[in-house]
Amino acid sequence: MYDPLGLAFTILGLLLGATVLTALLSGTVVLKRAAHWPLIIACGTSAVLAILLLLQVWKAGTVPRFVSDPITWFAAGKLTASVSLVVDPLSSIMLAMITFIATWIAIFSSGYMREGHRIDRGYVRYFAVMGLFVFSMCGLVLANNFLLLMGFWEGVGLCSYLLIGYYYDKPSAAAAARKAFLVTRLGDIGFLLGIFLLWKVGGWNTDLTALFDHIQKSPPDPTTLTTACLLLFCGAVGKSAQFPLYVWLPDAMEGPTPVSALIHAATMVTAGVYLIARCAPLFALVPDAQLVVAWIGGITAALAAFIAVAQTDLKRVLAYSTVSQLGYMFIALGTMGAVSPLFAVTAAMFHLFTHAFFKALLFLASGSVMHAMGNVIDMRRFGGLRRVMPVTHLTFLCGALALAGVPVLSGFWSKDMILEALQFGSAGAHANAGSFYALLLIALATAGLTAFYTFRAYFLTFWGETRVPEEAGHHAHESPSSMVFPLLVLAVGAIGVGVVAGPATHWFGDFLARTPSLRQAATIVGVAEPAPHFNWGIAGVSTLLALGGVGLAGLAYGNGGPERVPVAIEPVFTLSRNKLYVDEVYSALLVRPIEWLGAMARVFDQFLDALARLISAVPGFLGGLIRPIQNGLVQFYALAMALGLAVFLSFVVFLISR
Amino acid sequence: MYQTFRFVLLLVVLLPLASAVVVPLFGRAARRFAFLSALLHVGLTAAVVVATILALDVRSQSSNPREMGVVKFEPEYVPGDPGAGSTDTSTHRTRWTLLSLSDTPTDKPGPHVQFFIGVDGLNLWLIALCSLMMIPAILVSWEAVTDRPGTFYAWLFLLQTGAIGAFLSFDVILFYVFFELTLIPAFFLIGRWGTGSGRRDAARKFFLYTLAGSLLTLVGVIGVVLTNPLDDGQITFSLPNLMGQVQKGLQKAFTEHLAGKPEALIAKHTEQFWLFAAIMAGFMVKVPVWPFHTWLPAAYNEAPLGVTILLSSLLAKLGTFGILRFVLTLTPDAAISYGLPVVGTLAGIGIVYGALCAFGQRDIKLLIAYSSLSHLGFLVLGLFAFNTEGLSGATLHMVNHGVATGAMFALLAFFLDRYRTTDMRQFGGLIGRFPRFAFLSFVLCMASIGLPGLNNFVSEMLMLAGLFDARNPGVHRLGLAVVAVVGILLGAWYTLTMLQKVYFNPLREPPTTGPELAHDANHREVFVLGGLATICLLLGLFPQVVLAPMKADVAVLTVIGSGARDRVEGVPHKYDYPPINTVDPNVPVPKGMPAGGQPGGKGGGGGKGKGKGKGKGLGDE
Repeated sequence: MYDPLGLAFTILGLLLGATVLTALLSGTVVLKRAAHWPLIIACGTSAVLAILLLLQVWKAGTVPRFVSDPITWFAAGKLTASVSLVVDPLSSIMLAMITFIATWIAIFSSGYMREGHRIDRGYVRYFAVMGLFVFSMCGLVLANNFLLLMGFWEGVGLCSYLLIGYYYDKPSAAAAARKAFLVTRLGDIGFLLGIFLLWKVGGWNTDLTALFDHIQKSPPDPTTLTTACLLLFCGAVGKSAQFPLYVWLPDAMEGPTPVSALIHAATMVTAGVYLIARCAPLFALVPDAQLVVAWIGGITAALAAFIAVAQTDLKRVLAYSTVSQLGYMFIALGTMGAVSPLFAVTAAMFHLFTHAFFKALLFLASGSVMHAMGNVIDMRRFGGLRRVMPVTHLTFLCGALALAGVPVLSGFWSKDMILEALQFGSAGAHANAGSFYALLLIALATAGLTAFYTFRAYFLTFWGETRVPEEAGHHAHESPSSMVFPLLVLAVGAIGVGVVAGPATHWFGDFLARTPSLRQAATIVGVAEPAPHFNWGIAGVSTLLALGGVGLAGLAYGNGGPERVPVAIEPVFTLSRNKLYVDEVYSALLVRPIEWLGAMARVFDQFLDALARLISAVPGFLGGLIRPIQNGLVQFYALAMALGLAVFLSFVVFLISR
Repeated sequence: MYQTFRFVLLLVVLLPLASAVVVPLFGRAARRFAFLSALLHVGLTAAVVVATILALDVRSQSSNPREMGVVKFEPEYVPGDPGAGSTDTSTHRTRWTLLSLSDTPTDKPGPHVQFFIGVDGLNLWLIALCSLMMIPAILVSWEAVTDRPGTFYAWLFLLQTGAIGAFLSFDVILFYVFFELTLIPAFFLIGRWGTGSGRRDAARKFFLYTLAGSLLTLVGVIGVVLTNPLDDGQITFSLPNLMGQVQKGLQKAFTEHLAGKPEALIAKHTEQFWLFAAIMAGFMVKVPVWPFHTWLPAAYNEAPLGVTILLSSLLAKLGTFGILRFVLTLTPDAAISYGLPVVGTLAGIGIVYGALCAFGQRDIKLLIAYSSLSHLGFLVLGLFAFNTEGLSGATLHMVNHGVATGAMFALLAFFLDRYRTTDMRQFGGLIGRFPRFAFLSFVLCMASIGLPGLNNFVSEMLMLAGLFDARNPGVHRLGLAVVAVVGILLGAWYTLTMLQKVYFNPLREPPTTGPELAHDANHREVFVLGGLATICLLLGLFPQVVLAPMKADVAVLTVIGSGARDRVEGVPHKYDYPPINTVDPNVPVPKGMPAGGQPGGKGGGGGKGKGKGKGKGLGDE
């Protein structure tokens, strides 16, 4: 039982079992009200087991990696897809984080998804899909085979689709669900091609560990490997909502808020970051691809932060902030190579880790607001809620401070680590130092923006005169304890997890750095890991920026709404509010043309059909041409016979006389 | 054991025929009888499947006997097998001659048209599919067909007989007869029981179009028969003998080519081209490959739903199976030269074109019809990749596509029974209205778009891997693989758009057929759709059960493919031959392809087992 792989399989089994059990509950009317229990119990138990697993890996010695014996899923020729799990520091940290956060979100959901004593119609469906999601996500981080990983990858995509479309009768939710699935699938095209390209150049391996070893031993030509890595990155771009495929994530806020917290902030969207971290031994070989990763991250971080500034929907502000923070993580991953992979990946994963806490908290707090406001989430319609919902207010504040990067809270430490990685990258003497310097500036600017938009949202929601929309009725009040308690737990996490895991103990970095695949990447790159120390310069600048952003937001919005925009920045503000018109551009460039092509294909098909009919009409037409000859007149036949005979005879005579 | 299963295999062909004769006698109770008979057939087929898996398992433990580096199919449980010594041994031949063109004794190879059927790794699962898909075909017709149901089911059974017979045939003429036999019932079923106003036109178009194609196929097959006589000069119609002779003839020309006399090989390749073009004609129409698909939308749309299920899941596979069984074996060199570059390009166009057409449809039935065009294009690509991954994937995809697309059409019965329309603009918000049905629809749609864990994903991945084989001409830049993956995306696009319109959004439903409100799926529908969904899931989770038995026969094809690649490139042994048996390391690998080669080289290629075969590249390193 204490065998790490045994624990991993038990966790997966528990979660799958909970899903199936919940689905079966849908048939029994009595137990419908209890549909949340299987998931809560399974997640809770898994979280405990995952922490046990983490301790096992911690104690495991110098090579803390456990790979299960592959079980063949399908195989033909040189392609073998197998079910094989890998447990190492990287996957065990992810596993513990996912199950821990999922537990609290499941508890929160049990309160959120019911209106007073009324159970929502899709209550059972919600928890069944949620269970399937947590199962897939755990499988994703444990998979040691590309095709298996792809399987779970699509599995989380499916669950996300089903949960975004949870309110199925709302057209906007239906459209958002389809959009999420399709946009991420667009990225998955690249992912698939990347997997097969790697399979081709990587000694026909699909098992990650074997593939990395093979590629390290006999690296293929750089162009192919760069292509393959960029193709893999396409998948990450889709799943982790990076530019240019981030458009699905803000729309995904149509789903129930706990879903946004779990899937679209804390776990699923981090799958792309995890993928690149997992494939570090490949990316370490290709600096060009790394540069692309860093720049995509930088562009996304800045772009999304800019859009977040003017959004009026509280959840959308948070959604764009998620996109932006994921961009941060990709910047950190992109420095791998210029900086030691151990440091770069630790920075990215640490930010992923702390972000999971404070972003889940922020989303749940906004869910609590939404719950009290009768499902209204437009910040123009409520304000001054700090008196109505004191606990929600305080917990939201904790999350906001952490996100803004105010010192001592968890976001501060992880963001600084990323900035530090960039500083190292720009200080080095390699070709891309200039790029990293530019990215450092972008990241700093984004940090300031982040503090500003976070506190804009905070002030607009919680400060000023108390305003409550009519949908909330007279019962605008603090949420039930099943919702408040998870908020408190996560708030503690948002405050403390950074300092505990980071500067206080260096536990996170030390543990993650023991991951064999990261060590392998470090061997390939050969850059020394910087010694852990506190970087006063970076910390000072980022603190200034964070406080500046908060202060500016306080000046502008300290008295709550409604929002008054100075005329001078009106155009910029409009641009931001309209999300830079990216959706419109996509619609014009991609969606409309395909719809148009579909309509054209329909017409063209009729043309093809007409062509086939034309050909089939040829025999009839030829028959019609010679039909007059068969006119049934004996005289005509006689004449034709005589003429024919004459022609034939003259022909023969002509031949002979020659 | 052999004798028993020979008899059972014969029954698998004859039971539907017998049912077709008897079922009209039952009148109103015909559907009940048809259902029971189909169930019995599933039982028989299950027995054959189990027995064949056992037999093929034994085979993969021992080497395939070869003469002169020539590989042949070895059907199991051939009825009328003379046996070696006793009848309870297998010689993979038959004595049952239908028509003999000379005085040669019928147990000797010669110009005999024989009732030569048997089962091997390639057709095993297609037989299972034929047997299985009858159940949904009958059950969706349960309420829908009230007009002379006896005759309807009789034609349905005859259609099944034709399909099963064609899949089982190892005699080229017998195959052709069964192949054409399917046309007649399909013609009457569409024309007589069709649902739309254009049914007669659709039936006629279907009949004439496919007949025109398959007549060319007949010409091609006869061409192969005449140009590849046996060593004693007699012609033969037996596929194993023919494919052996084709390989020998090509090898002989290749040996001359290597000796500096290329004329014979050039002549052979010209001949191959024409035969390939002729044989492919019929199969390209039947699959269909773009642009020969124009009969398909009309036929699928006008046919009653039960027949559409059979058309899409069985008859379309006759085309792809024909390519697998006949084109790749009888014209291997042309299949390498023109398969991917020409047919593959058309199929690639068809993938995107079919997806776009599906996207443009308003009627769900037409949407699925066009999606079939798209999916089958991918299948044709997998076939012409002509390597282990592609062929295994394609063979598996025939089954997967049959189940998934058949199931998609079966979903429509729900709409037709209740509302008599499948126009998606008239529906909306069905998740809340029919939760049970919506759940099953989602599972089946996800299977259709290739979600991992469900069946299509596995075969699509294998075919995709096959397309990464750099030995084939025209795939160096992986263009076809990219097209195939784009097809997967577009498939998701139109399917999800349909789901969004029909199952999401506010509730909207057209007037019902009956007086009362439409109700959620009943037991019969849950049985059909749930059963198919379960099969999709099982095939997605445990595909190895299906893939393992076909290994030996796929290896036969890949050996032929490797030989053909050598001849097309004009260089001997440019590529590794895949080991025919990856279990036993002592099995020799046919290295000596030129005519002087050792018959298998007993014990020679000792080290050429699993390990080495895996490590060696597909050739582009």
